[in-house]
Amino acid sequence: MTSPIDVEGSGGTSVVIDGATQPPAALEAKELQGRSPGQLMWIRFKRDRTGVISAGVVAFFFLIAAAAPLIAKLYGKNPYTVYADERPELFDSAGVPVQPNGGISSEFWFGLEPGNGYDVFTKLLYGIRTSLMISLAVTVATVLTGILLGVTAGYLGGKADYFISRLIDFLLAFPAQLFFIASMPVVVSLFVSPTDETPVYVRVVALIMVQWFLGWMSLGRILRGTTLALREREFIEAARVSGAPPWRIIRREILPNVVTPILVQGTYMLPNFVTAEAGLSFLGVGIVEPTPDWGQMFSKASTELVMQNDITYMFFPGISMIIFIVAFNLLGDSVRDAFDPKTAR
Amino acid sequence: MSKGGRQAYAALSVLAAGALVLTGCSKGGSDTGDNKKQDKENAQRQQASIKFGGASDSQGPAPEVPGAKSGGTISVPQRDSLAHLDPAQIYVSNESQMALLYHRGLTGFKATSNDGKQHEVVGDLATDSGTTTDGGKTWKYTLKDGVKWEDGSPITSKDVRQSVERLFAPFINTGPSYLQQWLANTPGADYRKLLPDGPYKGKHLPNSILETPDDKTIIFHFKTAHPDLPYALGMVGYAMVSQKGDTKERYDKKPVTCGPYKIASFKSGKSMVLVKNPNWDPKTDPMRHQYVDQFNITFNHQFEDSTKALLADGTADQTSVSFQNAVDAGNLSKVLSDPKMKSRTVEGYQPFVGQMNINMSHPAMQDKKVREAIAYALPVSPFQRAYGGSDAMDIPGGIISPTVSGYDPNFDPWNRKNKPAGDPAKAKKLLQEAGKVGMKLTFGYINSQEGQAYSTAMAAGLKKAGFDVQRQEIPAESYYDQVSKIKNNYDIFNSNWGADWPSASTVIPPSFDGRQIADGASNYSQLNDPQVNNEIDRINKITDPVKAAAAWEKLDKHIVKDIINIVPTGYFKQVQIAGSKIGGLAYDDVIGAIDPRRVYVK
Repeated sequence: MTSPIDVEGSGGTSVVIDGATQPPAALEAKELQGRSPGQLMWIRFKRDRTGVISAGVVAFFFLIAAAAPLIAKLYGKNPYTVYADERPELFDSAGVPVQPNGGISSEFWFGLEPGNGYDVFTKLLYGIRTSLMISLAVTVATVLTGILLGVTAGYLGGKADYFISRLIDFLLAFPAQLFFIASMPVVVSLFVSPTDETPVYVRVVALIMVQWFLGWMSLGRILRGTTLALREREFIEAARVSGAPPWRIIRREILPNVVTPILVQGTYMLPNFVTAEAGLSFLGVGIVEPTPDWGQMFSKASTELVMQNDITYMFFPGISMIIFIVAFNLLGDSVRDAFDPKTAR
Repeated sequence: MSKGGRQAYAALSVLAAGALVLTGCSKGGSDTGDNKKQDKENAQRQQASIKFGGASDSQGPAPEVPGAKSGGTISVPQRDSLAHLDPAQIYVSNESQMALLYHRGLTGFKATSNDGKQHEVVGDLATDSGTTTDGGKTWKYTLKDGVKWEDGSPITSKDVRQSVERLFAPFINTGPSYLQQWLANTPGADYRKLLPDGPYKGKHLPNSILETPDDKTIIFHFKTAHPDLPYALGMVGYAMVSQKGDTKERYDKKPVTCGPYKIASFKSGKSMVLVKNPNWDPKTDPMRHQYVDQFNITFNHQFEDSTKALLADGTADQTSVSFQNAVDAGNLSKVLSDPKMKSRTVEGYQPFVGQMNINMSHPAMQDKKVREAIAYALPVSPFQRAYGGSDAMDIPGGIISPTVSGYDPNFDPWNRKNKPAGDPAKAKKLLQEAGKVGMKLTFGYINSQEGQAYSTAMAAGLKKAGFDVQRQEIPAESYYDQVSKIKNNYDIFNSNWGADWPSASTVIPPSFDGRQIADGASNYSQLNDPQVNNEIDRINKITDPVKAAAAWEKLDKHIVKDIINIVPTGYFKQVQIAGSKIGGLAYDDVIGAIDPRRVYVK
């Protein structure tokens, strides 16, 4: 958990780092006055090569996820065509591609999926799109909830703090994974008529709701702590004395100062939500066939059919997810370091 | 860590991830080479009518298995534990198969060839397969001399009477019900009224139904002719129960046995040990052997695990064979393409036939053109793929399996052999003629790995023909309960039915007799066609099994081609393997798996 961060720039005392002395800081202050914390952070971030590369990789993933339909159109295929029935000459009777490495060719760049023979390239693109979309929605929802409840509890104190904190404790006691697995089918069945197929959007909404329900507490607690510390600062007291109502204080004074932990936690939370959603789809309670999904591709890859006959298939969702998660975590480290060089080691 | 350190760490993790890619290259295809010739032989094999054997065929000892040696212990990894040891409760295939080692009945199926493809019905405890002088209304059986229970006491007609009468008791509810229905002369579950408490309260079946004039003679009297009785009595469900040892419900965990092996221990869900029964006399048994000293059976081994263990052939696995487990779909190609495995592999048809039921009780499905469109449009190749390809499933013609009398390999009304992925163009034309392009079709599928795989591909194929397919998942444990409800929401759903014995009289009536429609019964498509019902009654009376088989096949063709309440989806096959020290491997068509009575340790 990050410690409450002393924010620089708004008149706070500068801290001596690595033996740097006052005069250079004063010189800088004369030449580049009024650099905001955001600008400082950005400069420090740019200097970190690992961070920049990771940010590029992450941006690339989001870009291809957003542009998936366009790319698929240019490529000329979609992830739903059952090639095992359309092009039976490419497969044997068990649905395993006849060509080596899963049938990688100039026509099928990443090969074909054993079984029903879906095109792996578009399936991966759309799978990343599905998983990222859901995880992004969950992250936004949990961040908003965490802010709302965490800052309120920290600032208002008293009864509000007591009840919100007990709520957080209660929800933290739920075994999250088991709860997800058990509640998904229930939530899905609430919205679907018995004669109809469960529409994809119902599953997506159910996944988002279920993960949001048990995902906001850690951020909430951090923000509550940050707010508690901030509350005692002089500028808050000054604002209170000047007659500002609580909501205005929260909005104008506190929120800008908790942006740091939000950003840092957010960049850690999103990859966790991606792996959680992939895990649920792997177990079969998240997104199911034929909707493409990153986690569902793992599930397919772990069947004996793939492991014994076409292990190449496993590497497309596997490598892409490893790259994404490593990049995102390194990005999170770099963001944290950029905000607070004190904690950099 | 320092900045520099982190860069190194980042580079390292990316490198490690990348290195994995290099190990991931795989060769193509999984096809097993020339199994097409084998399939042709299987297809050409007409299951010639199974003879009913006489006294000489029923005598022991059973012909020796070539190369057999005595001694040794065999380990048997099985997937499913045995829920029932009481013969009257046994219906499920893995329980029946295991029980061949410890239970015996009046009749049984004897393999007359070493490859398990030829059979005849012979007397097991009886001197022959039964004699009838009035075309099947009266059947007489005589018990052999020298047949004993595991404790040495003789088996008499009192035990036979007990075994038959307890079938009517309420606690016997999971076994077959043919004999009970025939004796009571009623279909459905009303047969219990004949003897509501079984023999336990002192009442017995009258002599007009079951006669036991002396210790060795049993006479069955039926009101209508049942020429199939020898087949039925060969089912493990009608094996003998000891009258003195009948402990009712507790018999299910500790039965009294009379086969070559007795149950030394049974831990439900974990293990079972079978040892030699010294009171079994091989001279009285035309079908079984006692080569092996002991069987150590263990449960909960999934197909993938037992396949991998048997392939690895470590010291413990060399004397292992699974009776129930087949090679799983993923490992099929590995097993079939390895020349070293050839002598350790057997394969053949299971009695199961997949069929896509069309719910005839839904008004939208009652238009014949719609059903025809479904039949043309439905791809069956996904069904084959889902189970592991052509070595696990055959593209079907009619509803009668290649293992059943009367199978016609040339019957293929929907041109499945050439177009396993369906003919969407033809189907669309039919839908246009019916004016129903775009109609909704609710497709209930079983939520298993196979069900998900084949239902998505089948739905895609049906969509091409112009149907608006809504797939509905049904949990695997309650699948058959759901689809067998008279009021269910599914327009089409798949079911797999296996003949109880190699006659179509156990395929067509349970699935297509309109008078059998009930919650939980197996007429899933809810077909109720008076002409079909009459035909069923007529064919059931034919005494000549060859003529009866031909008549059933004609009815099969009529149902599949003209009525179209079902669309056959596949003939199940399986491949089974054994450890390298196991001899006597044969795939028995009637059992639909390895014959446990022939195995020995090399």
